[in-house]
This record gives sequence, structure tokens and C-alpha cells, in this order.
Amino acid sequence: MAGSQLKRLKASLKDQGIIGPQKSKKQKRQNAQDAKASNEKRIQRHEALASIREQFNPFQFKTNARGPKFEVTTNKPVSSREAMGISGRPGLTKAKGEERRRETILVEMQRRNKVGGLIDRRFGEDDPNMSLEDKMIERYTREQQRSHKKHSAFDLEDDEEMGGLTHMGKPLFDNDDAPKYLKDDFEEDVGSGDESEGSQTDRRALKRQRLEGALEAVGEQEEGQPERKKTKKEIYEEIIAKSKLHKELRQEAKEEDNELRAEIDEAMRDLRPLLFDRIKPPAKSDKPTLVIAGKDQATLDREYDIQVKRMASDKRAAPTDKMKTEEEKAAEEANRLKKLEEDRLKRMRGEKVSDDEQESDDENKQGGDDDFDAMDVEDADEFGLGQGIAGKAKKYRPTATELGFDDEDDFLIDDDLVASGSELEFDSDDEGEESDEDEESGSDSGSGEEDSDDDEFTKGLLTESEAKQGIFRLPTNNTKGSDENGVPYTFPCPQNHDELLEIFKSIDVKQLPVATQRIRALYHPKLASDNKERLGNFAQALVRHVNYLGNQYQPTWAAALEGLTRHIHSLAKSFPIEVAKGYRSIIQEMEQSRPLALTVGDLITLTGAGTTFPTSDHFHQVVTPAMIVIARYLGQKIPQSLSDYATGTFLAILALQYQQFSKRYVPEVMNFTLNTLCALAPSARAFTPNTIGFFPIHDPPAGTRLPTSLPADASAARKLAFSDCLPSNQPSLELKLSLFTTTLSLLTSASTLWSQTSSFTETFSPALPILSSIPKSLSPAIQSLQQHLTRLLQISRLSRRPLELHHHRPLAIRTYIPKFEDSFDPNKHYDPDRERAELAKLKKEHKRERKGALRELRKDNAFMARENLRVKKEKDAAYEKKYKRLVAEIQGTEGQAANAYEREKALRKKKR
Amino acid sequence: MAAATKEPSSASAGKRKRQENGDKSKKRRKSGGDEGVDLKAQLKQLEAEILESRKHYNNIATLLELAQKNDEDRPTAIAASETLCRVFVRLLAMGCLVERREASEKDATVTKWLRERLADFREVLLRMFNNEKLALPALLLAMSLLKVEAQHLDGRDQAAFPRYFFTQVIYFIIQSPVEQLREEFTEKFIDEFDDIRFYTFAAISEFLKDPSADLDETVRAIIFNLLLNIDHVPSSNKDLDTFYIEPPTTKKRHPVRSLSQHKSQAQDAWLALMQLGLSKDQRKKILSVMSNSIAPWFTNPELLMDFLTDCYNAGGSISLLALSGVFYLIQERNLDYPEFYTKLYSLLDADMLHSKHRSRFLRLLDTFLGSSHLPAVMVASFIKKLARLALNAPPSAIVAIVPWFYNLFKKHPLTTFMMHRVPRTEEEKQKIEEGGVEDVFLAWERDPMETRAIESCLWEVVQLQGHWHPNVATIAKIISEQFTKQAYNVEDFLDHSYGSLFEAEMGKEIKKPPVVEFMIPKRVFTKVTEEEEKQGLKDSLVAGLWDFGTA
Repeated sequence: MAGSQLKRLKASLKDQGIIGPQKSKKQKRQNAQDAKASNEKRIQRHEALASIREQFNPFQFKTNARGPKFEVTTNKPVSSREAMGISGRPGLTKAKGEERRRETILVEMQRRNKVGGLIDRRFGEDDPNMSLEDKMIERYTREQQRSHKKHSAFDLEDDEEMGGLTHMGKPLFDNDDAPKYLKDDFEEDVGSGDESEGSQTDRRALKRQRLEGALEAVGEQEEGQPERKKTKKEIYEEIIAKSKLHKELRQEAKEEDNELRAEIDEAMRDLRPLLFDRIKPPAKSDKPTLVIAGKDQATLDREYDIQVKRMASDKRAAPTDKMKTEEEKAAEEANRLKKLEEDRLKRMRGEKVSDDEQESDDENKQGGDDDFDAMDVEDADEFGLGQGIAGKAKKYRPTATELGFDDEDDFLIDDDLVASGSELEFDSDDEGEESDEDEESGSDSGSGEEDSDDDEFTKGLLTESEAKQGIFRLPTNNTKGSDENGVPYTFPCPQNHDELLEIFKSIDVKQLPVATQRIRALYHPKLASDNKERLGNFAQALVRHVNYLGNQYQPTWAAALEGLTRHIHSLAKSFPIEVAKGYRSIIQEMEQSRPLALTVGDLITLTGAGTTFPTSDHFHQVVTPAMIVIARYLGQKIPQSLSDYATGTFLAILALQYQQFSKRYVPEVMNFTLNTLCALAPSARAFTPNTIGFFPIHDPPAGTRLPTSLPADASAARKLAFSDCLPSNQPSLELKLSLFTTTLSLLTSASTLWSQTSSFTETFSPALPILSSIPKSLSPAIQSLQQHLTRLLQISRLSRRPLELHHHRPLAIRTYIPKFEDSFDPNKHYDPDRERAELAKLKKEHKRERKGALRELRKDNAFMARENLRVKKEKDAAYEKKYKRLVAEIQGTEGQAANAYEREKALRKKKR
Repeated sequence: MAAATKEPSSASAGKRKRQENGDKSKKRRKSGGDEGVDLKAQLKQLEAEILESRKHYNNIATLLELAQKNDEDRPTAIAASETLCRVFVRLLAMGCLVERREASEKDATVTKWLRERLADFREVLLRMFNNEKLALPALLLAMSLLKVEAQHLDGRDQAAFPRYFFTQVIYFIIQSPVEQLREEFTEKFIDEFDDIRFYTFAAISEFLKDPSADLDETVRAIIFNLLLNIDHVPSSNKDLDTFYIEPPTTKKRHPVRSLSQHKSQAQDAWLALMQLGLSKDQRKKILSVMSNSIAPWFTNPELLMDFLTDCYNAGGSISLLALSGVFYLIQERNLDYPEFYTKLYSLLDADMLHSKHRSRFLRLLDTFLGSSHLPAVMVASFIKKLARLALNAPPSAIVAIVPWFYNLFKKHPLTTFMMHRVPRTEEEKQKIEEGGVEDVFLAWERDPMETRAIESCLWEVVQLQGHWHPNVATIAKIISEQFTKQAYNVEDFLDHSYGSLFEAEMGKEIKKPPVVEFMIPKRVFTKVTEEEEKQGLKDSLVAGLWDFGTA
């Protein structure tokens, strides 16, 4: 750029139109008239001057000498300032600092060593002790208090005037003076308000400056050149106008929609046949009504509604299922069973059954739970993992409904019940078999019957009356009519055990399965919405009832209890949680109130739980607690009478049955059985502990031992029954013998079951010396068991191999992948040690703050010095002035006097 | 008078017990009726008269008489003794009972007479200890009298502990049939005040050494319980700072202020008791608290050595319990026990894992086998023997010992051959293929160095990996997984039982529907019919072995 600074200044002034050729008088007058234009012009002029001033002051901006530090490419327009790499405005900050000091330090300085005066108690104003935040909060609360009743004070859509702050009804917001409301703090305090007027205006100026600064950026982006700054009012108006515009647009769109709707309504008559093509075309009568639509509006509306509803409930077209052939169905069934079996095996191994994606999510959650569950080993933090994950993370349980054989099995049980109840031997399937060797063949043969009866069952479900007929037809076909048995057709659905007792009071136990079946049919979940809950409660009550009945067991009830148990099983398919809760509550009672004195009812309940739930699972919510109860009795009960031995024997059998499939080892069974043998052994030769095996031997109660030889009239051993489990029976020889033989066969089953275990020898060899000490004449089974055991022991010895448990792949040494920062910044600290990083950050911050504070203090000092100097200078100047004045005065007087003297002298001379 | 008060006393018999523990003044108010008021007024008058003038000192005798009626008229007895207590407290405070040399003969007579009455009153109070209803208030009265006596009886400034009276109190407490009295005494006095504890020990050992005392079983049991209840041994002289009767400060080292004096008193008492012989239960009790609350009382714990060694050799659960005491001596007093580990090994018997002292024993076992300098052969014997025992153990025991095995394997790598033993030569391999292997472990060998356990394998733990309890099975599996963990914290696995395992199972609410057996069995209780049998249906095990009856 050519020319001197002065020339450039003149050129730019001319550019902005601030100076120019002289205007004619006419033009001037015109300008003066146009007040508004002049006002605008004045502002414009002001701005232009400011920008020129900025431009020409090289110290206005702090720029980077080498230009911007980084080359930046953006899609935003780059302002000139940014392009220059301005990093600060020293002039402005200095001015601000000065201003602030003048507000605070200066005031303090002036007030120093002064007593009394007025204190301005209006909140926040001129109170340097109050932080800005506090002031804001205070103001905000006041404002809230004032406007809390108005819920839409800031609703821009609301056409009403904004209910801002007012003073005597006049709004506080003037045209351009937004923060005037600050004055409103003390309304009556006018006098003191004046005092602070100066600082307030300053503040206002500051505030405006800030606001404008913010707006400036926007302006620059939009037009690239500084535009006239908008006042606050203008901004708000703009916002309001915009929102009104949007409102209008929405309104328009809505209207358009309405029009379209009306159009479609018009065309409805033509569309209808297209929509309801399956329904016959609208009757003729429709036309006249439509023609005279005005007259018959009500009927028209109704019809329309009906049709809309019909349309909504119309099924979407779907391809119909292909009819499957018998073979396909059989194959499907076989596949299903196979899959179920695989699932069972997985659960047994403690793996998770995962065929459902959704479940895997649950699985994760479950993992968390299990960590918690594993608390029983209490080593939650360290063992919880091993335990929780490996041990129990497999608890996905498909519900019956999920597996989709809900109905079928309902039907199956009904079929079976009818069969057993009526003695009509259906050529039924093998479904009921628990041991699964010939699983597939059974299901194959069974699947044939299912569909033939399927219809019957579903038909029975259609309506309640039909259900009655459909289901009761078969029982009434029986030789024993249900009426004769006094079983009513309808029952209320019992919701708890007390109700159930009340309802079943009059019914013979043997008829309970029939009654149960009727209740289940009457309250089938498909018949009413709340039946599901009712049946769930009923199932729970039924579980308890079986326990209750078991406590008064009669040998003739076996079939009935079996029926009930199977009913519970079938109900469990639909209500697994309820039934499980029922069982668990009973098991809990056993554990808490009678862990070592289980009743017959408990035995039956435990048996039922074992058939209803898969006992082979690694973990099961019902089976595991049940197993604990069994094991506790076997392990901790010291038998006091033969009945205790009988109960224990039953539980041992049950434990074996539980483990029939998974072949898990139950130490308690071995302890109990061997103990029983020791107790029954006729020779009093004490089986002292630590001579035979490592199981604890309890001294048997008196009179338990068998005689060395049987008397001639001794009755043969029989099977044990529940009556043997009841106390108060005398130790009869028959019972002892039965116990003995049952224990022997129990031992046989156990040895067969666990023949593959790795420590078979150690587990079963203690049995041999016990057996050999018992006379063979007592039971022929002794000999065979001995042979059996010897053979198995031999096999086990031959098949035993040294353990090689640790053929693991060697563990690799752990390596750490170097950590790369994608966006590395050398100025940033990447300290992996969190605490250290935090500390460094704090230190840095502290340093910065310290420097800042020092700088501030220094500046404060300078300010104070400057102020003092200024004051001093003022004082000095005043003194000088006064001095000069006095001197001048004196000199004047002196001069006058001298003059007078001269004059006098001259006069006297003249006289002389 | 006695007859008059009898009626309300029987009427409020039910209330009495409660009242006796409560405030006595309230009691008097409550007993109500004219008689009660009369009695109260009478007592008050007597008291006032005594304090008023020496002339009325004979009232003391009247009061004593009233107080002695403890059998027929309890409220009167209590009220009278309270009054008497107050009277004596006042008299003592006034110094009327102090024998002064310069006193006149008449005064001396009065003082002597008063002292005799005081002795009578003590006697009355002590005798009340035998009465179930009166014992507790009497104890409180006796103890407050004791305190006042200590301060004023001698007429000196310094309080002196009235040992004779206190010994009497202890004698009577020991011989009293009222169990509550002893509890109260232990709780309110022995546990609270260091000097009371000190003199109690002294009194007890005196009593036990007293040849005239009647030391039958019940008295011994009472003393035993009393001593057993005195726990929290002070740790230094500074702890001895609460006194019922402040000991004289003039004497620098009063025995009450010295910890070693306390300890030797306690030691004397215990030794005296032990010399009398203990029942089996008492021994067990002593052993179970030995290292925590008895041995610390002893200044010479070596004195316990014989007792502990005898117990340790006794076998059974006493051995298990004695182990901790023996350990205490080994640790604190450097006791050298010959063949300690052989003895320890012999404790691993069939009942050990079923014993209720199991976790206690395992804890100690963990300590004893904690050293990595023990011979691997011996450690292997311990592991193998415990594994053998685990085959017949409850789940809670298995849970505890398997992680411990893991730690031992980590510490003694030589023993890991028990888990992993690969045949080295072809011939060996072939031999195993043909004939299998025999377990060479000698289960009945007593010496842990000779059992050949280290040549054996842990088949037992492998079998337990198929334990019925899911968690036990999972824990047993840690043996065959990679040994990545440093060690398990055995403490976390120790305290379990069937109950706690069950609670852990039941603690979880059912959230997911449990799996239900997909096939409904045809037969549950009833037998399979012949026709069904033809189709391959078989009885379940239960139905086969059990007679459920027939339909």
C-alpha cells in the first residue's frame, strides 16, 4: 500500500463515506428531517470509525508473528482475523481489566480509612463479595418467584406479551436497554440508585459489548462484512417472527391434509368395492343413503365405523400350511425329541443351551447374577467367576410354550388319565418312559395317536359347555359313572391350599385326578383371561395337597397320587414358575423345620419333584435344593429306629433315581447304605471306624441287628412300604430282613450306576468285608452281590489308568500390544498412571493460576500506583495552580504598590 | 404385720420377678395397700430415730430382725435391708464405726456393738444370696456396702479393699443356687471393674484350695463357668484403669495395678481348678477357648503343656480341639512336640470331615502345612488321605479341601504328579494297558512318610468332579484345569454346611421358568403292567424297590 499513514487514513475515511465532498444545504436539511435514517447513519458511522481505528492500530491485536500455527482447511468462511491468526486483543483485555479495577480496587481505595456512609443492600449490586453466579441465582429465584404462576411465560407461540419484569405496569425492557431490570431490586430506593448509576451504565455497556460480540460472529459469517449491529429487540422480534412463520406453515400443511381427507371421503363410495372385494358390493340401499347423506348421517357413520373395524380386524393374507404326511410328522417329532434330548445332555454337562439369540442376551445378564449366586462359596470375587460361569451359566430353560408342545402334552395327559382311570387300555405311546434308551422308537409309535385325539381335545376347548361334554364323555362311559362317585361337574378354582381342602373335602381321594381334570378343563387358559393366573395358583395348591395327602398315605392311594403328580407335571409345562415355587416352598419347609425328620408326604413330594423336573441338569432350581435335603438327611441323620432306616433307604433309592441318567456320585448314599449294613449285620463284632473304610460309623440302636440265623418260621423279605417309615413300629424281624435285602439291591444298583467312576474301587471295596461278615444264610442276595461287586471291582481295576489331567496347551507368555494414539498431540500427556496424570494436571493448573494471580496482583499494584500518582498529580497541580494564583496575586499587588510608589515618587519629584 | 403383708405378696407373685430387677423404691410404692404404707412409715421412722440419736441404736436390732424374715415376707426383708444399708452407710460416713483409741469406754462399747451389728447385717445379706427372689437386690446392697466399708471402716483416708467381706461374698455367690446372681455379678462387676476381677480370681483360688470347702461336681461346674465367662484379658498395665474401689495411690505398685499380678491370680485360679480334674465336656470347653481366652491369662503357659499334651493324645474330637492349644504353645513358647506331623496325620480319620470342629482343624492344618520346606512325600500323604476321606465326606468339607489341595500343589510342585503322570516307556504303557494300575497308596499306614501317596493318583477328586452338587463338582474341577491362579483363599471356603448351601440355593428367586421334564412318565408310583412291559417300559428304580401299595 502506498502513501503515508495519514494518506491511508484519509483514503479509508473517504471510502467509508465519513468524509466527503461538502453537502449542499438542501441535502443537509433532508438528512436532518429523516430522523430515523440519521440515527441509523450515526450508528453506521460509529461502527465504521471503530473499524478504522482498529485497522490502524497495530497494537490492537496480538498476532502470531509467523502467521497461524497450523494450516487449517475448513468449509466455513474464514474471517480475516482468524486468517491472521489473532490470538488475543491486548488493548481490549487491558481496558477491561482497568475497568474492573476501577470498579473494585478504586472504590476500595477511596473508601479506605473512612467510616460510615451508605451501604447499598440491594442484592448483588456493587457487591464484589458476591460472585456472579450467586447474583444470577438470586436474581433467578426472584424472577421465578414472580413468574412461577405463569406456565407459559416463554412460549413464543403465545401471542400475549411476554410477562417479563415490570415496574408499575411498565415493562422494564426498553428498546435497547435490556439489563435495566437490574435496577428493580429495590423499588423505593431511588436515592441510592442514583449513586450506583455510573457503575450500572458501565456494566450495561459491558454487557452489550459481550452480546454484540456474540452477534458479530454471526453477522460476519453471513455477509462477510460487518453489518449494522442488531439491537436486542430486533433479535427477539426476528425469533418471534420466525416461529410464527413456522406455525403458519404447519397450519397450512394441516389444512392441506384435511382437504385431502375430504377428497378421499368423497371418493369412498368408489373405493369401497375395491377394499371389500370379498364382501358383496354395497347394497342398493346404500346409494340412496349416500345420495341423501345429509339426512341419514347417523346410520352412515355407524356403518362406516363398522367397516373400518372390520378392515382393521381383517387377517392379512398368508399362505396356508401345507398338510404334512404322516412320515414327515413322525420325522419332525423325532427331531424335536432328539433336540430336547440334546438340550438335556447339554444342561447336564452344565453347558448353556443356546438356540435362541434373545437368550444370549439374558445369558450375559445371568452371568452377572450368577456371580452373585455363587456366593454360596463366598469367594465371590475369586471363585465366583469359575463357579458362576462354568458352573451355572447354562441355565437357559426353554419353557414348555416356547418349545411349542403345550397343547399336545395337555392332550397327552388327558389321554393317559382317561386310560388309567377307565382301565380302557389305549394302545398308548411310550412317552411316559423316564429312562430314555428307546426314546426314538417310542415316540415314533406314539405320534400316531396324537392327532386322532387332538381334534377331540381342541373341540372340547371351544366353549365351556362343549368342553364339559368333550372331556366328560369318556369318564361317563366308564363303568363307574362320575356322578355315582359324587364328583360334581363344576368346581370353583381353588387359589390356595385351604380353599382346595375345602373343595376336595367331600371327594374321595381316588377321584381327585378326575376332579383335577375337570377343574383344569373348566378353567382352561383359553377360556378366560384370568384363568391362567387361577390355574397357576391351583397348581401350587395341588403340589401342597399331594404333600398333605402323602402325610396320611394309604396304600390304595398310589394310583390317585400318581395321577395328581402327573397332573402337576402337565400343569408345570404351562406354569413352570408356579409349580417350581410350590415345590420349593415345601422343600424349604422341610429344610427349615424338619431336616432330619422327613415325613412320608415329603418323600412323595421329593419323588414328584424328581419326575417333574429333569434331575440330570447340572443345576436346577428345584432339583438341586431337593437333592440337598435328601443328602442332608442321609448324611446327618443318625438313625434312632428302624423307621429312620426305612426313610433313609427310600431317600437313598430316590437319590440314585435322581442320578440315574447323569450318574453323579452321591457320597451320602454310600455312607448311609454301608452304615445300614453295618447296623444290620448280625455279628456284634464292632465295625470300628478306620478299619473298613473312611465312612463314619454310628452305633445302631438296640435291637436292630439281624439274628445270625433265621428262624424257620421267618417270613420272607418283602418290599419296604411307607408304613415302615412311620415311627412306633416294633423292630420286627421281617422289617429288618426287608431293609437288609432292599439295601443289598440298592447297593447293586449303586454299583452298576457308578461302575464307571474313577474311584470305584475305593468307594465300593469297604462293602466286601461287611458282606463277608454276614452269614450267607440270611439272604441269597448276599452271594450274588458279592460276586457282582468282585466282578465290577476287577473291571474297574483293569480299566484304571494313571491320571493325565494336565494335557493343556501351554499358556503363552502374556504380551502387551503397544498402545497407539490415533491422534497424538505432543502437548498432551498420555500418562497411563491415572493418578499421576491427574496430579500433573493439577500442578499445571496450579502453576497457571499462580502466574495469573501474580500477574493480576502486579497489575493491581501498578493500577494503585498509577491512581496514587494521578491523585498526587491532581493534588500537585491544584497546589501549583493555587500557588501560582497566589504568587500572581501578590505580584499583582506588589506591582500595583510599586507602581503607586513610582507614581508617588514621580509626584513628589514633580512637587519638588 | 407379717400376716398382713402376706396377702398382697401372694397376689402379686407374678409381678414380683420383674419388680425385683427394677427399681426398689418403685416396688415399695407399688406393693400398695395400708400395710405397705405402714411398713414404709415404720421403717422410715426407725431410720430417722437411729440417725437422730444414739439412744435409738437398738432400732438396728429391730431392723435386722425384720430383714431376716426373708422366707415369709420378702418385701419387708428387702425394705428392711435397704433401710439398714442406708443406716450403715450414714453411720460409716459419720465415722461412728471407727475404733478410736482416745474414745471413752462407753463410746468404744457402742462402736463395738455397732460393728457386731454390721457383721450381722452382712451375714443376713449373704444369706439372702441363696434365695432366688432376694439374691439380686441383696447383691447390689452387699456391693454398695462393700464400697462404703472400704472407704470408711478404717477411718483412714485411703480406701482399703475389704478382702474378707469380698471373699465371703464370692463364697456365697459360688454356693448360691441362683444362676442369675452369677450372671449379674459377672456382667455388672467382674467385666466392669479390674479390681473386682482381681480379687475374684484371688477369692476363687483361695476357695479351691480351702480344704474345708465342699467341692462337689456342681460347685466345680459353677466355678468353671464363672472363670470361663471372664474373658478379655487386659493387654498392658495401662488397661487396668477402672476400679470399683480406688486403690491407694500412695503405694507405687499396688498389685491391683499390675498386669502380671492379675495374670498370676488368674493362673492360680485356673490351675487350682484344673488340678481338681475336669469332665470331658469341660475339657472340650476349655480347649475350645484355650488359645483365645485362657492361655493369655497365664504368665507361664508352659504349665498348660502337660494338660494339652494329654488332651492331644486322647484322640477323637478332644485331639482336634487340643491342637490349637498345642499350636499356641509351639508358636509362643517354642514347644517341641516329637513326631508332630505323624500325630497330625493320625488325626485324619473317618470322622474328621464330619466333625463340627472341621473348619477349625482345617484352618490349623493349613497353617501347619503352610511351609514350603516340608517334604513333598509327606504333603502328598496328607493330600491323598484327605482325598480318600472326601469320598465319604459332606459337600461342605469337599468344598473346603479342594482349593486347599490346589494351594498345596502350587507350593509343592513335586506333588503334581498325583494329577498328571504319563508313562515314560513303551513297556510301562503297555503294562498299564493290559493290567490297569493298582493304587499304591497305603491308606492304613500311620507314618506320612511311608504311605507311597506320591506315587499314587488323585482318582478320588476326579470322581468328585461328578458330585451331585453343582458347585462342589465345579470346585473339584479346578484340579484338572490349568493352574493359572496363584492361590485360593481357603478361609472363604471353610464355613459351609448343608444349611448354608441350601440357603444359597433358595436365596435366589426364580426368575426364569425352570425346565420341566418334557416327558410325563407313565408310571410314577405304580408298577408297570405286563402289557406295558412288553413295550419296553420299565419300573423306575423307586417303584421297583419300594412298595407304594396298589390301587
